[in-house]
Amino acid sequence: MKISRRKFFAGAGAAAGAFATTSESRIAAAQVAKTPKAVGLPDVWGQDFLYQWSPPDNVKRDTSPGPNVIRLSNSQDITNREGTDYAQMFQTMRDSGWTACEAASAAWLSRKMPDSEITEMKAQLKAHDVVFYNIHCAGNIIAPDPDAERWQRHIIDAYHSAEACGCRMILTHAGSMYPNRNTAHPLNWSKTAWERSVGALKNICKATAGGKVKICIEPVNTESINNPWAMKRLRDDVGDERINCGLDIQNMAYAGVAFRMTELLNTTFEVLNGMIGYIHAKDFVWDQMLPGLSWAMNGTGNMDYEVFLAHISKIPDPIMYVEFLSSPEEYQEAQRNIRAIAERIGVKIHGTQPPPQQA
Amino acid sequence: MKKHALMLGMILLPTLAMAATPDFNGSWVRNPADSDPMPNQMYWVTREVAGGGGGGRGGRGGRGGGEVTLTVQQDAKTLQVSQSNEIARKYTLDGKAHTRPTDTGIQKAEDTAHLEGDSLVIDTAEPFGGMPGNATLKIKETWSLSPDGKTLTITTTRDIPARHQTFKEVYTKTQAQPGAICSAGCIGPQ
Repeated sequence: MKISRRKFFAGAGAAAGAFATTSESRIAAAQVAKTPKAVGLPDVWGQDFLYQWSPPDNVKRDTSPGPNVIRLSNSQDITNREGTDYAQMFQTMRDSGWTACEAASAAWLSRKMPDSEITEMKAQLKAHDVVFYNIHCAGNIIAPDPDAERWQRHIIDAYHSAEACGCRMILTHAGSMYPNRNTAHPLNWSKTAWERSVGALKNICKATAGGKVKICIEPVNTESINNPWAMKRLRDDVGDERINCGLDIQNMAYAGVAFRMTELLNTTFEVLNGMIGYIHAKDFVWDQMLPGLSWAMNGTGNMDYEVFLAHISKIPDPIMYVEFLSSPEEYQEAQRNIRAIAERIGVKIHGTQPPPQQA
Repeated sequence: MKKHALMLGMILLPTLAMAATPDFNGSWVRNPADSDPMPNQMYWVTREVAGGGGGGRGGRGGRGGGEVTLTVQQDAKTLQVSQSNEIARKYTLDGKAHTRPTDTGIQKAEDTAHLEGDSLVIDTAEPFGGMPGNATLKIKETWSLSPDGKTLTITTTRDIPARHQTFKEVYTKTQAQPGAICSAGCIGPQ
């Protein structure tokens, strides 16, 4: 009978516990006995003495294209500015190769849009074949009280606006124990933080019960949803099918997976099968002495864009949101790389991009 | 008479052609004043504070700060170029594509090198950064010597779908023998 190393040590720990007589050994035994089955990528080699950060030799790279055509959007958000010429706005997006758009919630909810304007916006979206799919929410649903409740109210308002505008989703976060959700609090992965996130989302689901709009959660390392298993568990704990993932796989990158992104992609799309609302398109490199990751141009970093695009083309109505770049020129460069890689493996991307401007 | 001249020409032509073959052998120090600023060839970081360098994995790597010395060993069929803190490259000068592992060791790169008149042309194609699934990076280096053989100019173009870059580097020949001033990573005379 083959006994795995983990089982061997678990067994050894249990045996040690049984014979323990001193308080020290009792503590040690208790620690071993409570060792849970950990989430993470499979062992490669040397886990008993290395943090194994190299990929195995036999990583499966399935680059076969799926049947679905990907729409690209970027942070050229749809605005809620009074007097907006929607025909021109959507034509500009199309001319730049973008065929989907999302709104930022703070600006979007700052003005009550008249029904007639919503009707006009929808007509122009259809005329230009652009999809308005998301309200990207500000705020922190587990911020220290009383802010948490205020932000939950904001998310609920965004939800109702999304319904009115025909968006398929809103995007929010599990939140941080600090007021600013972008700041990692030492207790963001504590049971308290988890229960606050679950409770906040239950409140939001209850206030929007009966709605069809998806409530997507963006994973990010600074918060509790730092891997696909946590995302799945969050949906289970909230107990609402509308909880989905606004997948930002780059936000889950850390030293342990920085060079194993192909595997993380495969695992994530498997674990989150059927619950991915849309996908953020970024890239990164590990370019510092400490495990410091820096944002990189799409298609030049550690993301395996071939496998990434192949997976995305297999989910229904896929939309990729290119973000975290600094200028319209960079967004065009990112789009050019993404389209070239997609073409290489036969993945289809909606719309066309203008040729590069000659200097 | 014509026949004799033709025969003499047939004898001399290969000799002249050999004499015209550029000789890149030696150690070459980069002249920063005459060279273009070098982009970071290893990473294309967005939202970065401008900085230099980095070595290696994206083709001949970023020659950022400090003195840069190339050591070249050339014979009739091959050319090997070494640089501190970088993996040495050996090119076969036959104009055919040769596959090698990228510096990451997990992808493949393809080099094609040939002498073209007074110049050496090296074409390389590889996934950017040597990482799987990336945009294809095409690098074309054209090496040429000054008439006195003491100045080496390398013009490099780098193309990925997103961007086209061209830059020029100028190197001055040093008296040191190949390999003599190299630290780790350089390969001495065989």
